[in-house]
Amino acid sequence: MRGQMTHLDTDVLAEFRAGLITGRRGAQIAAHLAGCDQCTALDDRLAGVSALLASVPAPPMPDSVAQRLEVVLAAEVRRRNYPERAEVDRPGESVAHDRPAAKRGFRLATWRVLVPVGAAAVLLAGGGYGLSLLVGGPGSPPSFSVAAGSAAKSASSAVPSASSTAKAASPPEAAPLTPGASARRAMSPAYLRLRIVTSRTNFVSATLKQQLQNELNTPLGTTHAASSQTIGCVQAMAGNARLIRVMSARFEGRPATIIVARDSTGDMAWVVGPDCSAASHDVLDATSLP
Amino acid sequence: MPDANQDGPSDQELLRRHVAGDSDAFGELFRRHRDRLWAVALRTVCDPDEAADALQDAMVSAFRRAADFRGESAVTTWLHRIVVNASLDRLRRRAARPALSAGDEQAFEALVAQDGDPARAADTRLDVDAALRILPPQQRAALVVVDMLGFSVADAAAILETSPGTVKSRCARARARLLPYVAHLQGNRSASESVSPAQGGDK
Repeated sequence: MRGQMTHLDTDVLAEFRAGLITGRRGAQIAAHLAGCDQCTALDDRLAGVSALLASVPAPPMPDSVAQRLEVVLAAEVRRRNYPERAEVDRPGESVAHDRPAAKRGFRLATWRVLVPVGAAAVLLAGGGYGLSLLVGGPGSPPSFSVAAGSAAKSASSAVPSASSTAKAASPPEAAPLTPGASARRAMSPAYLRLRIVTSRTNFVSATLKQQLQNELNTPLGTTHAASSQTIGCVQAMAGNARLIRVMSARFEGRPATIIVARDSTGDMAWVVGPDCSAASHDVLDATSLP
Repeated sequence: MPDANQDGPSDQELLRRHVAGDSDAFGELFRRHRDRLWAVALRTVCDPDEAADALQDAMVSAFRRAADFRGESAVTTWLHRIVVNASLDRLRRRAARPALSAGDEQAFEALVAQDGDPARAADTRLDVDAALRILPPQQRAALVVVDMLGFSVADAAAILETSPGTVKSRCARARARLLPYVAHLQGNRSASESVSPAQGGDK
């Protein structure tokens, strides 16, 4: 050892390198470094930490994450372009509607972490013309046609598109609700008759796409009326897209709602948790469908 | 550095168009920076699922709060700030699920392959990513932003919403703490690759 001081501590040396130690103390450290091979070697290794970190390439975003973010972004764009969607069905129970968007902040899109043991759902959506597939079309009676009669049988006939659209290639067979503002306003009463299909499937993130494709090729099971909260959620998520199916199912072992819808960019599905509403999406997962 | 090498409209222009109602502008802006934003989220939370959640939170927040951007900093600085905040928020909320705590060397050993040749970049990255976990989140975020993403201390301070002195201090402590865990990787680097004190990252 040489110099007037003992060897330098790693923390001290790191602070010195960062410019946090100056003045007389800094001069002492510099002088010590000039004469001490041991501390100079430590200083070199410390410098090497930054160099090493800088040399590590940034990991590319996985395709699955990129795809998921695109779906969320598309939902945000729809939400912004058609804000009246979230406002048309306001039975009055949702205080959150009245809070400024800025204050709601990104909690609105909190998905995975805050999902307690509750209900999850899958919802599939498409263009503005397709809501009738779920609610029976224009002029249909107030009760949703799927609900009438024995559930499974009438469901398969009342929702003819569910299986055909799952094959992805068939064009929309009818457009009872024309796109545009008037059609969007017309959505609200239609949504009020929305029926939720009960599914026994436990969807998991890793195989969500394949499971959904399989599910859409199976006959509908029993259905039940959607709660006003779920209706708000479905409207907020699907927007102007054409609803194909809304399912009550499980996701990663927990109750969930699954929304499947179609717009000009293709079919999309969102898995949402029990907290999903018009004001809070509570999305657990999302995927596009071929 | 962040706005360099881009074609087309500037970040600020894209943000302006988004605020004005352009449906595609934000997507273009986000895709332009997504890999770096992903990197900062992933390395701050040290978990791909959490990182995806944090990045999604941040993206939605930025989308909705774009009108709040006043141009005091670069758009990328603003974006990174939102991502870092979302990431640290995730970490706070999962406090019951600890990553490695400082000094948890046994767990660290389990994460780092000890027998391999870390010369290959992929191996090095894995080791560095594992080593980063020993750092407290605030130190880790500072080190990621300054040393790994190359932001200046001033920009890092804006991203981390703290003073430049605090950024320097967090980075210094993080480097000192990290040193024993990455020393074995430095042996594979040539002397020419090491930086001088003047380049130590704190300018």
